[in-house]
Amino acid sequence: MRAMRLHPAALTLVIIGAVIMMIPLLWVLGLSFKSNAELLADTSRVFSPPYTLENYLNIFGNGEVFRWIINSLIVSLGMTTGVLVISSLAGYAFARLDFPFRNLIFIIVLLGLAVPEQAVIIARHQMFSAVEMHNTYFALIIPGMATPFGVFLMTQYFKAIPKDIDEAALLDGASRFTVFWKVLLPLTIPAQATLGIFVFLTAWNDYWWPLISGTNKEMFTLTVGIASTQQNFAQTEGLGFLMSQAVFAALPILIVYLIFQKYIIQAVAGAAGR
Amino acid sequence: MTDTLSVETASIPKVKRRKAVDWDGYLFIAPYLALFLLMIVTPLLIGVWLSFTKGDLFGVERFVGFENFARLAGDPIFREVVWNTLYFVVLTVPTLTILGLALALALNFQTRWAAVLRTIFFSSTVLSVTVVTLVWRLVFLPDGGLLGEISEALGQTPVAWLNDPQLAMPAIAITTIWWCLGLPMVLYLAALQQVPRELYEAAALDGAGRWRTLWSITLPAVRRTTMIVIVIEIILQFQLFGQPQLMTLGGPNNATRPIVLFIYETGWRQWELGYAAAAAQVLFAMIMVAAMAQYFVSSRKEEA
Amino acid sequence: MRRAFLFLLLVIAACTPSDERTELRIQRFFGACDADYGGRTDIAAAEGECGIMTSIINAFEAENPDIRVNRNVVFWPGYDQLTAQLAANDAPDLVTMHGSVISDYQARDLLLPLGDAMAEQGINTADFTDAARRAVEIDGQLWGLPIDTWAPLWHINMNLFREAGLVEEGEPILPTNKEELFAQAEQFRQRTGKPYFVQATANEYASFTRNFYTFIYQQGSSPYTEDGRANFTTPEAAEALSLFREIYERDMTTKNQDYSASVSGFLNGQGGVYLVGTWMVGTFEQASKETGHALESGYTVYPYPQLYGRNVTYADGHNWVMPADPSRTPEEREAALRFLEFFAEQNVHWSRTGHLPVFQETIDSADWLALPHRENLAPLAANAQPLPKSIRRQFPIETIVGQESAAAVTGAKPVDQTLADMERRINTILDNL
Repeated sequence: MRAMRLHPAALTLVIIGAVIMMIPLLWVLGLSFKSNAELLADTSRVFSPPYTLENYLNIFGNGEVFRWIINSLIVSLGMTTGVLVISSLAGYAFARLDFPFRNLIFIIVLLGLAVPEQAVIIARHQMFSAVEMHNTYFALIIPGMATPFGVFLMTQYFKAIPKDIDEAALLDGASRFTVFWKVLLPLTIPAQATLGIFVFLTAWNDYWWPLISGTNKEMFTLTVGIASTQQNFAQTEGLGFLMSQAVFAALPILIVYLIFQKYIIQAVAGAAGR
Repeated sequence: MTDTLSVETASIPKVKRRKAVDWDGYLFIAPYLALFLLMIVTPLLIGVWLSFTKGDLFGVERFVGFENFARLAGDPIFREVVWNTLYFVVLTVPTLTILGLALALALNFQTRWAAVLRTIFFSSTVLSVTVVTLVWRLVFLPDGGLLGEISEALGQTPVAWLNDPQLAMPAIAITTIWWCLGLPMVLYLAALQQVPRELYEAAALDGAGRWRTLWSITLPAVRRTTMIVIVIEIILQFQLFGQPQLMTLGGPNNATRPIVLFIYETGWRQWELGYAAAAAQVLFAMIMVAAMAQYFVSSRKEEA
Repeated sequence: MRRAFLFLLLVIAACTPSDERTELRIQRFFGACDADYGGRTDIAAAEGECGIMTSIINAFEAENPDIRVNRNVVFWPGYDQLTAQLAANDAPDLVTMHGSVISDYQARDLLLPLGDAMAEQGINTADFTDAARRAVEIDGQLWGLPIDTWAPLWHINMNLFREAGLVEEGEPILPTNKEELFAQAEQFRQRTGKPYFVQATANEYASFTRNFYTFIYQQGSSPYTEDGRANFTTPEAAEALSLFREIYERDMTTKNQDYSASVSGFLNGQGGVYLVGTWMVGTFEQASKETGHALESGYTVYPYPQLYGRNVTYADGHNWVMPADPSRTPEEREAALRFLEFFAEQNVHWSRTGHLPVFQETIDSADWLALPHRENLAPLAANAQPLPKSIRRQFPIETIVGQESAAAVTGAKPVDQTLADMERRINTILDNL
């Protein structure tokens, strides 16, 4: 990495920005350690003791929570893996291979990016109803895997890799798949990590599709499950509990981010450098 | 499956003619293409069909032709929601793109403090919309909220952000930018990794200054990413839904009701499936025009 | 994918019950509170909507060893999920549903009539209060078991009322017409320096609708015509909106508070009268027992006072309904009916939530009248006025009426234009049923 230093003015701006970013987060954290009764009377008591672990203990008082976490992990990891695999394959093909109707298909896939979820969700629901596949992991994972975003992103990244790298390998007699797998794929790790975070995050926080597809509590994801435990006026009467659930539900994604961030930043800079 | 089969049979001519049609690519795109057809194209076509019908979630009543679209054109609320959506996109997309790039440039270091700051700027992204909106409602609340307390401490009358038709949408935009900044930042960070180091070294040798290096090396190198960020943000922000649903219910006086909330209310609450589907097609067309215009303009520039 | 699939198989294998009991699927809102009530069956000791509901279901299961209850708790109000389940032919056996929503599902043949079956089961359906009966009755049939009736109330801070000179012989002086209301509110403001009303007016629209409907009914008019169309361009509707416009304009109410802020506002003594539903009675009663609290020994609650010709309050309520499901076995149906019978017997326990009982017998009982303030609330059994069942889509309509009303009350839009817009928007929905 360059040993460049940030201009002090820029550094100041970034730090001010970070503080602005942090205040609401600290607030969430603070609320999650306060008793609900106290918050009912006055939410601004956040930054003064007493604090309590009661809200976090209450999360685990509901035995279903572990089931929901497992469901969310299966769905999010399944979707992330799936998207990474099929998008890398397709991205490579669209960026490097020449086949009939390539550009036409690519443009159609791109147009698919513009399809809003609300335009397809009811029809999707009807399709899964027709084959009686609701309340399965399959139904929770498959629709999210079709996002054209992955293909779009991977195609752009494969295109950004200089062509002479794979041409050299092809001349050496490597098969297309070897070129893809051994030569190019390692170079796209930052993009894979970015896409991985994005898909995991989307899957983990998704609410609509799991709500209407996984309707039995055995199939609730964490977002749906946590919402279901709220009482009618939870924002008023159970603010601290709500916030502890939020922190709890966000932790896995933060961990995933911390793992993936290494691959985004530490990846050896520049394909051309090799 | 059919795609795979056609690849195998079709690859035979390749042996005969040296520079023949090469179908191998289909092997690579087949898995995705199958999902795409099944999970996006098919439901979209069903949705298009539904937009020409009247019915609810339990069945289609009858075919009505263009009646739903005609009704949309004459619906003053729909005109408002289209305007609201465009206004929101204009408020958020440029800001997210510019801030995302600025942050990525500022934090593209392997030092510990840069990693900490990156995590801070990303961490809001991991929260779900429910929590984000709950917290920001507390921030914007004039009576006991964060901004309210600050302005009272400064001797000012607190502003009722979410209750003011002029300020409610900017407030939702601020919330959204706070929430969504992580993704453009990460996309730009990943892109910056791909800028060849030699370019910077050469620039340094030429004695190029900070701004010059940024202008003539970094920015051209991340142009493709800029296009990706803008296209993705256009697509995401056009689909604004959870923030107004949970913060303002589309109010006050419809000032924050976007198209997706309109679709949701029409389809799921009013059970007018055909009308909701028609609105969804309009949204699809709007996103397509906006995102694809951006894509083609920048692709052309690249080729030129 | 394969891993997920294997996992799925494992989970299915692990979860297939080797259970001979009849499975009863109950889907409800009111939240989950298993941390406190997970295994508890002592209904009398439970508190709050969630606690009492959970204990009732637990107790039912304990008393009926041949039935296994599958509890599906859903996020309030749960209709998106229910609609999806019905569309996928995967409906639960019993579901909680607001009275205002029943006609939507009933009109599409998605619910089963329960009147005869409940009577056979020994539920005294003839004893339903007027409000409870009207919540479930369509075309002479009963489409569910009413759980409760709720209505907006005047929650009163007696300490501030005393300070304002609005207490006589321990009872609050409430207005009997609009002029008195304004005079008392002025007096309240002068003596306490605080607004008479606490209201949730920010990003919360339900209370606007309740007030609007209530005061249209009080003037002897109706928000809907006999043939089921919106009827808002009337002098009575204009009067109902203008009343709250004037309250707002003359600073007789707190402003810019969302629901949470208004609750803490009332708890902290920011105003005299809080307009909110029956569900808050317990919370405020609790606060009045705390020393040093703004409400200490100074909380009472009344139905909306009669400011015009008729003494009525708009109301709604929760109910149990049974979705139609061709695959439901006779045993499952019987289990569901037994649950309804059991639930009906717990009517007085459920009404400790603050909601109104659905049986007249309960309302007349010493047990119920012994609960705090219930004597004041008893007249609601006759005065509560739900919207007619012929009006469908009451749920989305409530939001539109509330949002439009809010625009008029806060002065963003003239009253006449608001009423015209409101009527047009709602008639469009009703025309497109």
